[in-house]
Amino acid sequence: MKQIARITVLAVGLMLGMASAMAAPQTYKLRVDGLSCPFCAYGIEKKLGAVSGVEHVAVDIASGTVTVTMADGAVLDEAVARKAVKDAGFSLRGLQPAAAAPQEAGQAK
Amino acid sequence: MQLRSIAKWGRNITLVLAALIAAGWLAFVPRAKGPPYAFVAAWGEKGSAPGQFDDPTGIAVVGDEVYVADSRNGRIQVFDFDGRFRRLFGTPGSGPGQLGRPMNLKVHERRLYVAEYFNDRVQVFGLDGRSLRIIGRPGNGPGEFSAPGGVAVAPNGDLLVADFYNQRVQRLGADGTPVRQWGETGKIGIWGGEFNYPTDVAVGPDGTLFVADGYNDRIQAFSLAGALLRKWGGPFAINIFGPFNGWFATVTNVTVDGQGHVFAADFYNHRIQKFAADGTFLTALGAKGSGPGQFDHAIAAAVADDGTVFAVDFGNNRIQKWRQARPVLGG
Repeated sequence: MKQIARITVLAVGLMLGMASAMAAPQTYKLRVDGLSCPFCAYGIEKKLGAVSGVEHVAVDIASGTVTVTMADGAVLDEAVARKAVKDAGFSLRGLQPAAAAPQEAGQAK
Repeated sequence: MQLRSIAKWGRNITLVLAALIAAGWLAFVPRAKGPPYAFVAAWGEKGSAPGQFDDPTGIAVVGDEVYVADSRNGRIQVFDFDGRFRRLFGTPGSGPGQLGRPMNLKVHERRLYVAEYFNDRVQVFGLDGRSLRIIGRPGNGPGEFSAPGGVAVAPNGDLLVADFYNQRVQRLGADGTPVRQWGETGKIGIWGGEFNYPTDVAVGPDGTLFVADGYNDRIQAFSLAGALLRKWGGPFAINIFGPFNGWFATVTNVTVDGQGHVFAADFYNHRIQKFAADGTFLTALGAKGSGPGQFDHAIAAAVADDGTVFAVDFGNNRIQKWRQARPVLGG
């Protein structure tokens, strides 16, 4: 009986954990070269911010990394991201899903 | 015998190369022909409180006040000439009075003209911060903008706008009616009259239009009627960048003082360069770093009536004040 209760608690905990992970907005880290000028960085923010489902774009000019946070349930298609980055005048060097959604400085349009 | 001939040949080639380098240096790296500037003071740090900045990108001077585009904070901050905070206006957004990444600033007849990169428009403010007019909308047609980087006003009130992603400079009547454009919409080019992401514009006292042709690493000068007058920045001014006198590594701002001198922000060289109106190199101020008189990417400058230069130190989130080290006889 005690064991069944322990398993039930464990299962509920696992489900809650999974649900919270599934509810977290998907974020992506993009690698783009040559992002140290605000005219470039803002262009990336602007073009990616206009992509459907994108909720937040954070560009770290110093490190040249771009973090894209999607709306709940939305995913960032790599081809779409590649085109947005190209429209901004750059080449996308890499795109990787990231674990958490940061809410630091930088905003989409 | 053969070895001696090869050595002689090699020596001759070395001499020719050395002569070419020396000739190139003399031809393409001018000496300073104007007096230097001395660093006076700096103010600001990263943040969102009054007097702090988050990506300062533009600057203008009117009367005894300095106006700074505090881009990520979506506002304009106003200071006196000693860096004392006076007031601010604007919040992030796209409504009237709000700002979407304000970039280069210009003042004309006591009105502040703000190029808004995110909102694809030019917004005109009174010096009290009241929004007076909005010009332009997103697009690539006449009178439309795609991330405008800078704006200037001609003596007759016409607007000149550096239309960054449209690869052109537009001239609009004072009422916003399109008059003409320089550059082919959306086409990047390195030859005279073409642009590679123009970032800013300025109009000289004689009506000459100066364009900061950003990624072409040069300044182009035009008559307001449209003719290309001259261009400068590196050998032949055809997108050859470098750290030498008169060369650029991305030009992010151009402004003209009351005497017609042209000041250009040389972003990746961490300095402001000063030229005569004909493009003659006069002097440069700043070097890379975070100490007094050093820049972490110089992005813009403005000149007061008395010749004091205020420069935006983008990466260090501060404003620097410079004065000419010694007076110039005859102005």
